[in-house]
Amino acid sequence: MADSTLTGIPVATGIAIGKAFFVNRNHMANLPRHIVAADDMPTEIERLHAAFKSVETELAAIREQVPEELKSHGSLIDTHLMMLKDPKLSGAAQKYIETLGLNAAWALEKAVSDQEAAFEAIKDQYIRERMQDVRVVAEKVQTKLMGVKTDLSSFSGRAIIMAHDLTPADTVELQVDKITAFATVRGGKTSHTGIMARSLGIPALVGVGRLEEVHDGDLVVIDGLTGKIVVNPTESELAEYNERAALFEEYTRKIRRHCHLPAETFDGSRVMVHANIELVEEVTAVLDNGGEGVGLYRTEYAYLNRTSLPTEEELAEKYIDLAAIMSPHKVVFRTLDLGSDKFISTFGELNETNPAMGLRAIRFCLKNPQLFKTQLRAILRASAYGNVSLMFPMISGVKEIRQAKAWLAQAKAELRREGVDYDPDMPIGTMIELPAAVMIAEFLAHEVDFFSIGTNDLIQYSIGVDRTNRHVSYLYQPLHPATLRAIKLVVDAAHQAGIEVSLCGEVASDPFCVPLLLGMGIDSISMTPQAIPGIKRIIRQTNMHDCRRLLKDVLECRTVGRINNLVMDNIFKHFPEEVTFFSSLLENDELPS
Amino acid sequence: MTENNNMTDEAPDYVSRKVVVSSENGLHARPAGRLAQEAQTFDSEISLVVEDQSVDAKSILDILTLAAGPGNMVELRAKGADAEAALERLEALFLNKFEGA
Repeated sequence: MADSTLTGIPVATGIAIGKAFFVNRNHMANLPRHIVAADDMPTEIERLHAAFKSVETELAAIREQVPEELKSHGSLIDTHLMMLKDPKLSGAAQKYIETLGLNAAWALEKAVSDQEAAFEAIKDQYIRERMQDVRVVAEKVQTKLMGVKTDLSSFSGRAIIMAHDLTPADTVELQVDKITAFATVRGGKTSHTGIMARSLGIPALVGVGRLEEVHDGDLVVIDGLTGKIVVNPTESELAEYNERAALFEEYTRKIRRHCHLPAETFDGSRVMVHANIELVEEVTAVLDNGGEGVGLYRTEYAYLNRTSLPTEEELAEKYIDLAAIMSPHKVVFRTLDLGSDKFISTFGELNETNPAMGLRAIRFCLKNPQLFKTQLRAILRASAYGNVSLMFPMISGVKEIRQAKAWLAQAKAELRREGVDYDPDMPIGTMIELPAAVMIAEFLAHEVDFFSIGTNDLIQYSIGVDRTNRHVSYLYQPLHPATLRAIKLVVDAAHQAGIEVSLCGEVASDPFCVPLLLGMGIDSISMTPQAIPGIKRIIRQTNMHDCRRLLKDVLECRTVGRINNLVMDNIFKHFPEEVTFFSSLLENDELPS
Repeated sequence: MTENNNMTDEAPDYVSRKVVVSSENGLHARPAGRLAQEAQTFDSEISLVVEDQSVDAKSILDILTLAAGPGNMVELRAKGADAEAALERLEALFLNKFEGA
């Protein structure tokens, strides 16, 4: 028997075998606690101050790189720096070394506890919450004291990255060529880890219980199809998984063979299949996998993986490349969707109690018009080189879309004056991600040329569930009757107004969900490039007529469970052999075994 | 007992000045950080006193625990060679609501 078998939620398919490597491990659970001999106290005190100093130096370097335009975000780092320099914190820790003989990390832990007691008495909630910052700073120092490594450069061979949680900023720092899989404790079905893994074409599991029992260097099998992690497998288990990996590879080859054929049903209905990408470099994956355009170009990456804001010139260069390479195929640029989780580590926290509902996406852009206009100008410039569309994220009402369009008009006027080329008829769309946008879809349809339904956020906001919260992620149900009704309402409103509607959430790449989308009459779907061959194959072996009937039956169901059963039965009937290789957002325990 | 120094008649060994917290959110993290940062550039011992609570002006954590809100009266006390200059500087910070230099 293997040492242990853990289970998680599969968010990217594939099977990987490799050695475990933890990043950002929750070290505090095993904080070293021992008594230091009197002779060793001076050394221990020296170690304490050296650790403070070195964290301070690192943080100051990061602070230097925060762009001037986002100065307010740097102030959080300033606060952390002041806490590091605060003689109270290091002084109290030193006292615990001297008087009680505690080791440095433990002494600091006690100093933090004292501080906690002082903060608890404060009535002002904002100030009381600053204790979190003290914790963050102290943990950095403790990590330093414990000599924990966090980068992969020392790791030989290919690693399975394990972490409590991975933020976009964490993954920016990883050396992707060394990674064969991800596994995290936190995270739900559509968290960033999955997006990242799928774009790298490697398996990933999230919401893995007891993951922290795995040691660095353990041999681990990650099955991104069933959600299993096998730690230190026996030889026969290893052989079994090698065989399974080979079978999966064969299936992958099979579906890729026909991926360049159009996604047309038996009875002649055609759906455009586009790709979601984050990097311009992904265009090869789009074209290799039979993508008929880019339905969602997430533009955040250029802002995250750097220390100053990108200039219009830099953005335009990238955007023009993308538009030109994909031409005559369509590229839909989504304007900056920064804020909430994506924003934190690079520029410092905004300190919002509820970032998912805070200053992000279009709200953030309208508040920072300079930054917004720089991007709009770059996109417009690219529109002269290919088939470019633009869409705004997180629109909640008609006024927002008009404001955004006003900035676009201004950018156009500037370019015209400067004699710079752009496509004056570039289609403008809006994302439909908020329940408010769904309810007023008929009004929004008059403001734009197309809709793009972002189901990941739409499901979260309409069911009111944080998809990365393990305790409630079971509620994140793509086929909730409310979600399906919302999508139908939007599709109908779009077609009523004579505009096209696309869907770019993860639902688009879910083999079980796709027949329903077809039944609704959606014009195009957009997904991670790697999912395109499998989805195209399903569409090509489906009848539109059946999809409509399935949709009709499903819309009469009152529970998700019933709906899931119907759509699964449908897929099992048509794809009995391949179905074990499908990855789905639908609850696994609902899958007939 | 002949030698009975009456402390109240003697000048205190520190200089002091009273200021009002005028920044919008009171002495929150950013103002507290700025204050501590400036205070640390002086050799004098500097403290902030609100009612009967006195804290070290060079410690952001101490300043935060004061939780001084907008409109609160704070007494700045400094003891040392550069005490006057310190008070001058810190008072200016309060007056500028911790903005700018």
